[in-house]
Amino acid sequence: MKKFFVLIILCSVFVIFTGVGPIMAQTKAPYKIGGIFPLTGYLSWLGEYKKKGSELKVELINKAGGINGRQLELVVYDDQSSPETGSRVAQRLVSKDGVIAMIGTASVPISGAVASIGNRYKIPTIIGSGYEVDPKKDHFVFNSAHKTDFAVERPFEYFKGKGITKVALLMPIGPLGELGGGLARKYAPKYGITIVGEERFDVKAPDITAQLAKLRTLGPQAVFSFCTGEPAALVARSMAQLGMNIPVLVSHGNANPGFLKLVSNVNIPILVPAGRAAAPESIPDNDPCKRVILDFNKAHQQKFGEPANYYSAEMVDAVDIIAAALKVVPTADGEKLQDAIEKTKGLVGMNGIYNFSTTDHHGTVLQDMMVLTVKDGKWQVLLK
Amino acid sequence: MKLLKQFWWILPLAFIAFYPVTLAGGSPYWSGLLIFVGIYVILTVGLDLLMGYTGQISVGHAAYFAIGAYASGILTAKYGFSPLGAMVIGMVLTGIVAWALGRPVLALKEYYLAMATLAFNEIVVTLIIGLEWLTGGASGLRDIPSFSIFGLVLSNHVHYYYFVWAIVIIVIACSLAVVRSPFGRTLVAIHSDEVAARAFGVDTAKYKTRIFVLASVFASMAGSLFTHYMGFLAPDDFGVLTSINILVMLFLGGIGTIFGPILGAFFMKLLPELTYQIHDYELLLSGLILIIVLVFMPKGLFGIFTAIWEKMFAKADK
Amino acid sequence: MTDFSHIVQFFFSGLTSGSMYALIAVSLVIVYKVSLLICFAQGEFFVIGALAMVTLVSKGLPMPLAFVLSILISTVLGALVQRMLIKPIQNAGIGNLIVMTIAISLTLRGAALLVWGKESHILKPFSSGAPIPVLGATLQPQVLWIISITIVVLIMIWIFFEKTKLGIAMRACAENRLGASLMGISTDKAALLAWAWGSGIGALAGMAVAPLLFMQYGSGVMPMVKGFIAVSIGGLSSIVGSVVAGLLLGTVEAYTIGLISSKFSDTIVFSLLMVVLIFKPSGLFGKG
Repeated sequence: MKKFFVLIILCSVFVIFTGVGPIMAQTKAPYKIGGIFPLTGYLSWLGEYKKKGSELKVELINKAGGINGRQLELVVYDDQSSPETGSRVAQRLVSKDGVIAMIGTASVPISGAVASIGNRYKIPTIIGSGYEVDPKKDHFVFNSAHKTDFAVERPFEYFKGKGITKVALLMPIGPLGELGGGLARKYAPKYGITIVGEERFDVKAPDITAQLAKLRTLGPQAVFSFCTGEPAALVARSMAQLGMNIPVLVSHGNANPGFLKLVSNVNIPILVPAGRAAAPESIPDNDPCKRVILDFNKAHQQKFGEPANYYSAEMVDAVDIIAAALKVVPTADGEKLQDAIEKTKGLVGMNGIYNFSTTDHHGTVLQDMMVLTVKDGKWQVLLK
Repeated sequence: MKLLKQFWWILPLAFIAFYPVTLAGGSPYWSGLLIFVGIYVILTVGLDLLMGYTGQISVGHAAYFAIGAYASGILTAKYGFSPLGAMVIGMVLTGIVAWALGRPVLALKEYYLAMATLAFNEIVVTLIIGLEWLTGGASGLRDIPSFSIFGLVLSNHVHYYYFVWAIVIIVIACSLAVVRSPFGRTLVAIHSDEVAARAFGVDTAKYKTRIFVLASVFASMAGSLFTHYMGFLAPDDFGVLTSINILVMLFLGGIGTIFGPILGAFFMKLLPELTYQIHDYELLLSGLILIIVLVFMPKGLFGIFTAIWEKMFAKADK
Repeated sequence: MTDFSHIVQFFFSGLTSGSMYALIAVSLVIVYKVSLLICFAQGEFFVIGALAMVTLVSKGLPMPLAFVLSILISTVLGALVQRMLIKPIQNAGIGNLIVMTIAISLTLRGAALLVWGKESHILKPFSSGAPIPVLGATLQPQVLWIISITIVVLIMIWIFFEKTKLGIAMRACAENRLGASLMGISTDKAALLAWAWGSGIGALAGMAVAPLLFMQYGSGVMPMVKGFIAVSIGGLSSIVGSVVAGLLLGTVEAYTIGLISSKFSDTIVFSLLMVVLIFKPSGLFGKG
């Protein structure tokens, strides 16, 4: 009898939970956009920023009267930092929720899984990760994040200016490390840089001094470690502890307030590539993006008690791009919407000015990326 | 009532057959979900043969899932093999790997066996990540075509749903045939007392290896089905956490029952659908549910079904 | 190519990870010796200990007090888990018990997520001070703390299990249940104590390495796997074996990364492990 009792409790728990869903009653059907963010799992810290930013942007657009007299609705799901779940929720958005476009994801593998759904069901999908969009294969996929290439090329440009020619690579085992390593080798010759050595490390390992010690023998003038968050902070801290007082270049994933806290007591130069949204006060007033960033930051500060950052900006821009395309073609048709997005020119976003074409689904340019460093717990611009 | 007792299996079969057009209402999403459920049923049934009937613990079943998936993915996306051919090659490859591993690894007991299987899972995943030129590395393998048999492309999810579930039914039928055969009874004997079985002249290692190979081949098949549905592969989906997930499905559904895994896979894949609005609680909730099942329902969800079943017929027979 | 200072640096690196693996391995062995069960939730005690200490320190408690309190919290939690969840099913099969500890691990991880959120937490080192140069390599002061804590814990365990009546009775329990009950300790009580010890040491390991890592709710998975590897090499019921194996694992990892390949270091370590298991089925130091 006890067993059935437990079963009944369980069932009622589920009924209660499933009934919680917000019931939206609206006169004119809203445009539904799907949002896929890693809200749990190892990327969850990124997911929160992206979710907050995109939700607020939708809210602001709706407050201003929506688009073509219709509201926007953002349906958000958690991809649990896993490609399989990403693929599943994308499928859910497309076929159950009937979204007309999707935004989101934070890692290359999840983007790959979601992109393949977007292409299959002809749903325009704007992702924000290091995933390289090939317009020939990924017809329906766009990427509002800066190209990963920029995050390597711009800092190398900075290195060249500073006379740094010997760089050692310390790459995390995983997609970021693979990308970073490949790009470093690709751009090194262009900026007269020699890669003196390459090591890998497991982002969960408690100690990486072995790798750093090995690299130190090669006499690098800078270390490039394409990783994000805790591992990046660990690299910087370990270098400081080993007395390696040379610049460490980490990924553009670190341009957020959380990272500043993680490296608050590290005393070596940490270089972080980032877009304008990471350091808005340093942008000249005549830059059209400045207005956009400051306005949005104000709303973000009001609602969440902190300004938007580089990652929320990617998703804010993604919402903006879809909204702009919807204004041109008020349609739920994937092909037409894709076409409208592809024809978007001169859209001023937080991360740059977007110009899409049939051969470029990224839209931004190298100069949209800056190089920052951490100074007294704040960002300082080294190259803009 | 007697009729029901004899032909009960028609009910679930009818459910599977009519599901896409009735409950799912032609929605690709719900059919898609059941495709994943079906794939996990194949994995879990294989593990049930190994753990439930033969008593061999595995915390690395996702390794064989990965080998099948990547064999299919690489052969079709990079070398233009037909999906069916790639699937068969994957199964043969996995079978050979499992056969080679089987004897030495299955000689281990309990936790040491658990460790060895876990280690193999890690080896496979680290190799996938390390061999970028072949597997696409951690960034994943793109552009995998949809499944097709003899020129007929199964890109429609409802078609693919029927294809996957047809395989699920074949796998279940095979498994039932195995456990009900003399071979299966020997496995159960090995489970209950391996020393005694050996004393009776049973070559236990041979039996254990065979069932291990079968379970691995099932997993490989599931991997191929997974690959062509996702269209994209990344090592994140094949780690030890996936192995543990399969293990959890097995115990949740009911170990040593063949049918239990179906319930377990359903439950574990549907849970996130029910809790997506409270995703922060999902981890806690799934842990608590598993605890409740283990404490109160040692035979898993399937145990509840059999209990109700027996009560029904106990009354009917009177 | 690599000079002597690097060999030393790799050794320190291995010693750091190795001490952590050794502590987790010891906590697993203590539980195993008494209740023949490997607890897959040990990594969660590791995390909860560390995060509890982060919270207590941030609330203004002095380090030593926060340290003791965090250990107490984990110890009590471990004892509770044993009494409420493991005892009711202790006669079920080994598979059920393994999955039960997995369920406990999911639950505790889920609870930690709700309590401490998704972000990482930093614990400041136990003592401030610059890295110490040794033979051209550098050693972080916290590593000395980790090593001393490991040594102190091992001495405490030795005293408890060799010198106190309770400890001897518990050991007897592992070897002979009937004999133990004759000595006045029930297997129940022994299992409870073992869990308390195990979760306490697990937490201690977490707290000791927290200043080197960034702790968040999911940080327990890797240490658990590494601790499990160490006990598999060292032999499930050998405390000495698991300590040696933990240190060995850390050192082998560090030298593999440093001298062979950091890309395939995990592949190599796990392959070595399988070879050890296959040729020495009950671990390098196990009996029989």
